[in-house]
Amino acid sequence: MVKTLISIVIASAILFGVSMYSIVYVNDTFAFFERALLSLYDKTEAQTATYEDGTAVQRFWEEKKKSLHVWVPHTAIQEVDYQLYEAVGFLYVQDYKAALPKIEVVLGMCENIPHSYTLGVENIF
Amino acid sequence: MGLIFIRTVIVFVALLIVMRLMGKRQIGEMQPYELVITLLISELACIPMGDPSIPLLYGLVAIFTVYLLHQIICVLDLNFNKAKAVISGVPSVLLNKNGIDDYELKKNNLDVSDLIESLRVEGYFALDAVEYALYESEGAFSALPKKNFQDLQKSLPVVIIDEGKFDDKNIAMTEKSREYYLNVLKQNGCKDLKKVLVLTVDGNGKAYLQQKGKKYKVLNLDWGKTLW
Repeated sequence: MVKTLISIVIASAILFGVSMYSIVYVNDTFAFFERALLSLYDKTEAQTATYEDGTAVQRFWEEKKKSLHVWVPHTAIQEVDYQLYEAVGFLYVQDYKAALPKIEVVLGMCENIPHSYTLGVENIF
Repeated sequence: MGLIFIRTVIVFVALLIVMRLMGKRQIGEMQPYELVITLLISELACIPMGDPSIPLLYGLVAIFTVYLLHQIICVLDLNFNKAKAVISGVPSVLLNKNGIDDYELKKNNLDVSDLIESLRVEGYFALDAVEYALYESEGAFSALPKKNFQDLQKSLPVVIIDEGKFDDKNIAMTEKSREYYLNVLKQNGCKDLKKVLVLTVDGNGKAYLQQKGKKYKVLNLDWGKTLW
């Protein structure tokens, strides 16, 4: 009986801890990434963004996504990859008009992906 | 991860409710919550294993949630009788000293032939050889035989009337007709065939008659010979 109660407490603590950590970690990571993207967006809008600016954001994302794979379905991460690579490609050819919507899509994903995994009635059902 | 936890709890509780509503017949030798765990655990383990796009942690969190629920149910089961009755159900007495309990039988989605079959599996062939028959919460049958139950089942009883319906194949075995049995019913105060819950006879002419909502009667039809 005591063992069962201890196991309940331990399992609850593990599950609660993992849940809370995943929410905080995913939110924080996407918040950081969003800030980097916003800076890139502003530069692209002003038509001063360079290919190096794009690859810097891309490197930041590549670094963060390694640990994000533990918490977020890989398909969601792949979607970000596609859009970001395209945006960087447009920056390479200095097609700012084409790059802007792509960065905007990634910005939208930065808000939507963490929101999809937070505790909310709409996500539960 | 919190989402996976809540979703697993919801699916677990929903499955448990459905299993309890479906009754003991769907379970068979397992408590309802044990069957739910069996149903869930293999799927929970397989989906993240087979689909690399789903983080393995999703499966692990769900499995740990099921484990946590199992432990909580075990504690409730052991310490709170009311919770135990809700989660696992209670045994039903299908046959008592008055005979078959028609209400309990229907409540458990069973009919008379199911009861007779289950008793035969337990080694009791005559309905009057058993004092009590219980349908346990995990779907198993148990029976308490009468002291002299071996003397009461010297020949195999066959069902003549099962919930108001004649079994013509078994009637032919007894070398009698429907009219003969209708006459037997009349002599024992039963004018309406539909009110007969069960009538069985064995090869020696010993009959077990029970009308719905009444105590059973054991009759000797006095055939003067042993048919089987």
